[in-house]
Amino acid sequence: MAKQIYDVIVIGTGAGGGMTIKTLCEAGLKVCALNAGRRLDPEKDFRYHRMPWDMKFHGMDDPKRRGESFGYMDNEYTKAAWDHEIPFTTAPGTKWMWPRCNAVGGKTNFWGRSSARFSEIDFKAASRDGYDVDWPVTYDEISPYYTRVEKMIGVASTVQNRPSNPDGSYLPPFKYRCLDFILEAGCNKVGVPYLPDRCAQLTQPHEGHPACHFCGECTTGCDVGAFFSTPYFLLPKAEATKNLELRTDALAKNVLVDENGQATGVAYIDRKTKQEAEVYGRAVVVAASCVESARIMLNSKSRHWPNGIANSSGQLGRNLCDHLYGESARGYLPQLLGQPSFPDHVADSTIAWMPRWQNLKDPREEKFIRGYSVYPDGGCTEFPGFATELDGFGSSFKREVKRRYPAPVSFGIQAPSLRSDANYLDLDPEVKDPYGIPVARLHFEWDENVLKMWEHSKQVCADVLRASGGELESLGGEPEIPGFSLHETGTCRMGNDPKNFVTNRFGQTHDVPNLYVCDASVFLNCTDKTTTISILTFSLRTSEHLIENFRRGEHRVV
Amino acid sequence: MAGQGVGRREVLRILGTAAAAAQFPGFSKWSFACGHVGNAKLQIKPSSYQPQFFTPTEYATVERLTEIIIPSDATPGAKEAGVGEFIDFMVAHDPDPQYPFRTGLTWLNAHSERSLGKKFIELTPEQQTSLLEPLGFKDKERPGERDGRSFFRLMREFTVTGFYTSEIGYKELDNPSLKFYSESPECPHKGNPEHLHLPQASS
Repeated sequence: MAKQIYDVIVIGTGAGGGMTIKTLCEAGLKVCALNAGRRLDPEKDFRYHRMPWDMKFHGMDDPKRRGESFGYMDNEYTKAAWDHEIPFTTAPGTKWMWPRCNAVGGKTNFWGRSSARFSEIDFKAASRDGYDVDWPVTYDEISPYYTRVEKMIGVASTVQNRPSNPDGSYLPPFKYRCLDFILEAGCNKVGVPYLPDRCAQLTQPHEGHPACHFCGECTTGCDVGAFFSTPYFLLPKAEATKNLELRTDALAKNVLVDENGQATGVAYIDRKTKQEAEVYGRAVVVAASCVESARIMLNSKSRHWPNGIANSSGQLGRNLCDHLYGESARGYLPQLLGQPSFPDHVADSTIAWMPRWQNLKDPREEKFIRGYSVYPDGGCTEFPGFATELDGFGSSFKREVKRRYPAPVSFGIQAPSLRSDANYLDLDPEVKDPYGIPVARLHFEWDENVLKMWEHSKQVCADVLRASGGELESLGGEPEIPGFSLHETGTCRMGNDPKNFVTNRFGQTHDVPNLYVCDASVFLNCTDKTTTISILTFSLRTSEHLIENFRRGEHRVV
Repeated sequence: MAGQGVGRREVLRILGTAAAAAQFPGFSKWSFACGHVGNAKLQIKPSSYQPQFFTPTEYATVERLTEIIIPSDATPGAKEAGVGEFIDFMVAHDPDPQYPFRTGLTWLNAHSERSLGKKFIELTPEQQTSLLEPLGFKDKERPGERDGRSFFRLMREFTVTGFYTSEIGYKELDNPSLKFYSESPECPHKGNPEHLHLPQASS
């Protein structure tokens, strides 16, 4: 029997892989997608409206598991959806947490849904402030792809006319809660913006998907698909074309090459049988998420590529960036003490935000370059966390918890690290995963610039809280450790010079023209915005570039 | 995606009901919310719980402490919510707080015997409260009771966690989480953005 050769092998089914699979299948290309985990069943793997008292540990999780559950989304309700088998290591001095959902759809099953576009200020940041290099794209050429993605996934927001936050096409925004009006008034006094976030959560039915029911537990999975995830939005469209074969529990090991060093397919482990298998294609798309994609490519060593495939620049795995997350300030709003409870938590923390306001007119007006954004949160959340720190006991204590319940507010920073030679991943020379594949070893530290943003945000958020009439209870402290935000970028950066960049401006590797990368690893840095909508956007563009290359006969469609 | 099972259809049915009922003139725009699927009854505790970690005497003390921290008054408290059992279960599964709980309970009984000649559980409710006040209220702190204060903080933290994750605790706060709304809930105080001088809730 002749060996089957697909048009394209896609590794990963998250935002990048999902968009790629759908776009290629709809163009008539035969796709084999490899996914490291299984398909999820919302009824078993999502929270599915289970209440804390339905759970053995009241949703607080088995203390024995705390060492292996990373991040807020991997918890007692959803733990079976997260990968705990494939380890990673950290270099001495590096702290890194790395929650990985290897199930079909990846982290789009549980993502935070904030969906602001990158801007020309982001793409030309280096020209403005002299640090690092510009992106090899302009906003004008990316903008139409954003518009198409917004139409596909549905984003709720408003037109805001801000230089760092280009507007798109939006569904009606989330309505403001009491705390939003109060903090908006405070922000106005301080002179910082307070606006509806760009939230990919359907405030009305959209493109055949139902509207949100505002239960507020999005990051433990949506059982009706009222926010974008690839299993609800993209994979069904790909499967309808009959051009997709999706292999689950297929852990990609390395990209296979021919005698000329060009990609011919992918070697993977079938996690059910623990056997190695191969699948062949005319082109390969790596979309396994930033760190994992670099790991697969670094593990793809051959005579042609002794340091990893498409790594003649030596930049593969380097230039790792991440968002610093942390609670800049916390307190409460006395205006809301004793008010009736209100459903404040219907979109997790993504109803409003304070989008980047620093260094917009003058790129060096602050003590740091670039900028950060802030997500305010508060009100009646699922658990009254403040109550563990209240003074006293008895009926007065119980009344005080109830009185304070609607009033807490906090501010979470999202600040980009700068590109640095100190931040990268390589393969651990000793540690291998249970399938014998070398694991990723992370090297990462926060840079001085991002720590200045962190300090700056504490002061501004305290000012906003006070100007809002609020009481400040806690100011900063330590930020979350790197990896927490799940916004890592930059291990296969795109650029025009093959000597310095892994991929070209279309996400196609310079060295191996039939090898493409569709995830946040092609981004030059992480900006002050979240990554998912930009992964979708750049992957759509890369996929269409790939299709065009097929049409021109470059990848020899049969 | 898979998940077209009976449970999913049940949620969709309830969603449909929620959307329809919310348009019924008897309900304000966002106050209608559905009950949770399959959770009609309150937790009912067996009367003779066998603790997994604590000794029977320790357990009785823990349960009494939860009851003092969040008492039954106009609304049910920690005892009705079974918080003692939650704490025993959590501590049985977590080595970290086992030593602080055990030594804390020992400290409390020694302190009680030294001050009032009886174990804590044998004191009158008034005596128990007066013994705990210096531990639980910052403005009543006394020197030499640091260990007692940190034990009480631990006890209060576990009690709060157990109580406000119980169905009774949800009712106490009128916790709006995980309910269904037909549209994005909106602040009801139009024209008062700074929310100054809001009327207080009657309850």
